[in-house]
Amino acid sequence: MLHLQINPNSGVPVYRQVMDQIRYYVASGLLTPGAQLPSIRSLATSLAVNPTTIVKAYSELRHGGIVEIKQGKGAFVAESGGALSESQLRSALKQLARQLAVEAAQMGASAELVMKVVQEELQKVRHD
Amino acid sequence: MIENSTAIEANNLSKTFSGGLAAVSGLDLSIPAGVVYGLVGRNGAGKTTLIRMLMGLLRPTGGTGRILGRDLWDSDPSQRQRIGYVSQMHKAHEWMTISELCRYLWHFYEKWDQPYARSLAKRFDLPWDRQIGLLSGGQQRKAAILLAFAARPEVLMLDEPAAGLDPIARRELIDETVDVIAGVSPCTVFFSTHILSDLERVAEYVGIMDRGRIVTEAKLDDLQNRTKRVQVVFNSDAIPDGFEIPGAIRTKVEGPVVTSVVRMVSETQLDELHKRPDLRVNVFPLGLEEIFIDLFGPEARGEFGDMRL
Repeated sequence: MLHLQINPNSGVPVYRQVMDQIRYYVASGLLTPGAQLPSIRSLATSLAVNPTTIVKAYSELRHGGIVEIKQGKGAFVAESGGALSESQLRSALKQLARQLAVEAAQMGASAELVMKVVQEELQKVRHD
Repeated sequence: MIENSTAIEANNLSKTFSGGLAAVSGLDLSIPAGVVYGLVGRNGAGKTTLIRMLMGLLRPTGGTGRILGRDLWDSDPSQRQRIGYVSQMHKAHEWMTISELCRYLWHFYEKWDQPYARSLAKRFDLPWDRQIGLLSGGQQRKAAILLAFAARPEVLMLDEPAAGLDPIARRELIDETVDVIAGVSPCTVFFSTHILSDLERVAEYVGIMDRGRIVTEAKLDDLQNRTKRVQVVFNSDAIPDGFEIPGAIRTKVEGPVVTSVVRMVSETQLDELHKRPDLRVNVFPLGLEEIFIDLFGPEARGEFGDMRL
């Protein structure tokens, strides 16, 4: 089952938070092509957000070819969708990396240390 | 704001109290049916006066306000029953129990939904048979919310509905609001609040009110997408004369660091900055709470009439 988390204070529109998380689930294979997504109403209720937010997230995902809407049946992960292209991965990672870079610079951490920690964390994730 | 019909509108709506205080001045508003509109503003900005005028409880000194096409100051009960209202001070009927009050109110509301009223009482953990005057402040507020929702109105006017509610009750209020707007018959919800994270969950539109006027009004997504905090860090301590981040609304300078709240109007707005070798640029998203504090906090200054998106 899908576990989405939203943070209303982050300044990132809620529909984008929903979109990004679903996109990552698809990219990581946790959501496979053809899998059904929760209904708009149930997702809105479980996240305690306006249903129009979910409508917008789903329709943007459909636009990006990640989700298919089947009339009367609901939303599904598209057969062709899934893996992010290298440029999509790059732009998603860039945001995260930038945040890390800014905070590391503020702490006065060396580039070597940052790289080392990132590599250690990558190792851990792969072993899990 | 386009989209189908207009549920709530105000034209040049004004209220000057006898002491000369202009609580609302020349306010325009147009809210389409079926949307959730969140109104924020500091204490004394005029939010309650605006809502009370729209509800027909306070006579405007100028302009007009309408809900579902009617001025409520002089409309009949058939019109009023289509509108649910939670006021800031709900002091009436303290001697009645919720059960008695429901039985009394359902005569005035054609669409009164008694099973729903009971289920809300359960959900809000409200004693059905205790006098309202004996309930805590938070419980009285929940009782007022129950009564407004159980009338199954087409428009809900909520004046700080979450004030005095604990986090659990606030979440229940949000859940209930989500249920109402996801329901079969669309409901327009207009609410004022100081709890901006609640607003970010449910509002599609946000209006920021200051000194009797709506100074910013936007789709919440647009406001978030278009308002960022941009930080420029110069390599040297000297900031060039006249330096300004393009689109800056508010700017703060500390040593070699210039931080601005920036209105993003184009993708390429910061390209020139990114190219400069003498500085670094960081862009951060801004939550509504931060936007609000930047607009009204102690270091805020000047006018922001141009914030209207």
